[in-house]
Amino acid sequence: MKKIALVGAIAGIGLIVACQPAAQKAEAQKPKKELSKYEKFKIAFYQNQDKWQKYCSNEAQLVPQGISVEEFKKAMLATIKFPPGGKVMGDWKKGEKLFGDPKKGGKSRRGNCYACHCGDPQIIACGNIGPSLRGYGKKGVDPKQTYMRIYNSWAFVPCSAMPRLGYWGVLKPEEIADIVAFLHSPESPINK
Amino acid sequence: MKKRTFLALGVFAGGAVLGTLAVAKEQLPEHLRELLELGMHPGHVFVDEGRDYYHNLKGPNGKTCATCHGQDGSKLVGAYAKMPRYYKDIDKVADIDLRILSCMTKYIGFDPKDKKFKKKYLKTYRIPLSTYVASLSNGMKINVKIEHPKEKEMYELGKKVWFTRAGAREFSCAMCHTVLAGKRIRLQGLPNPVRDKSYNHWPAYRFGSDRMWTMEDRVRSCFKAYFLFTKRWDEKKDWVKKPPPFVKEVIAVELYMKHASNGGVIEVPGLLR
Repeated sequence: MKKIALVGAIAGIGLIVACQPAAQKAEAQKPKKELSKYEKFKIAFYQNQDKWQKYCSNEAQLVPQGISVEEFKKAMLATIKFPPGGKVMGDWKKGEKLFGDPKKGGKSRRGNCYACHCGDPQIIACGNIGPSLRGYGKKGVDPKQTYMRIYNSWAFVPCSAMPRLGYWGVLKPEEIADIVAFLHSPESPINK
Repeated sequence: MKKRTFLALGVFAGGAVLGTLAVAKEQLPEHLRELLELGMHPGHVFVDEGRDYYHNLKGPNGKTCATCHGQDGSKLVGAYAKMPRYYKDIDKVADIDLRILSCMTKYIGFDPKDKKFKKKYLKTYRIPLSTYVASLSNGMKINVKIEHPKEKEMYELGKKVWFTRAGAREFSCAMCHTVLAGKRIRLQGLPNPVRDKSYNHWPAYRFGSDRMWTMEDRVRSCFKAYFLFTKRWDEKKDWVKKPPPFVKEVIAVELYMKHASNGGVIEVPGLLR
């Protein structure tokens, strides 16, 4: 028993010694190049700006330059993806949470519709950048249209102030469907 | 308790109705309003602290700011009105934060590579000294000139950054502060610093967060709203919340805004939400 342990220990030490240079070699081959904060900022600010944002980065801000509005809309329309089964209305209660969620931590860094739109009449802390959405479900808009506008607002109003929430993946298709339900469902406080 | 809730609701509703043009002073919390009535301004603490550093903070070679710039900043009167501008000795366009840092490393002997010093400068010395030096120009008109080729280059960059839409929120400076200025994000009114010459009250004490901020802090923090990221927007490790301090993009935007504020009378420290 003892012998086996001894042999095992020697073999173990041998293995460690043998592996060390190999491990060092691997480390040397893969130098960890941590980008500086400024390099990260430049990548995020310049490189990751997509070509559609470039068309909008002009003094007018709300009108694309260097491309026709029709062409712009068509390309944006082509990016829209629907949730599995094509169901554009989900759970309005989940949608209500996403609609008001302003948190910046963790995974809930999204939604925040109240920053620009009014919705539930009980909530008066709402912005006036976008149109008020109070009673939205009664306006007779097709829920599919609502879904598409949230997924990629630039397919309808190029360079609009409203972010392309689905396009960037800020909201998943299912989550957009939940918000659509919150806007359209008759039980939702928006329509009461 | 009930009274307080009622009051809070009242303020809330009032804010929603008055909304857009709510002047910062009307939103002041009670304790600050009382302080102001007594003639005290929380920002003045920083001016005093800065004055103390100015005269007493000795660098490794024994000099202080006052050694070169005179007792009570006599040679710095009006300097802030012309910043950001090109400085020959550092061959850069610098704002007040970078100018003071350069002075400390170049003339009073702090080591620019000493990380401990840099951290101390950013957290402790920068804001009081900037506020003090800025306050020496109180009552004077902002007068930023775009003459040197590097100033022209920075001004063009500032203008470009101002209109650049980027990040997962498609933001640009101009989107909120030119196009949507006057509207509200929730209850926060959006100012128009280019049209309204509102650079004159920076550095400002922000009572919402109880902090003194220079324009550099203000501009860098604005980038948090952009949702900038390196690879994937939903990976927290890829988030780029702010550009680092003293980068040219930030100074360029400061130059662009301050040039637009030419003629505004400097009143430092300001008081803002």
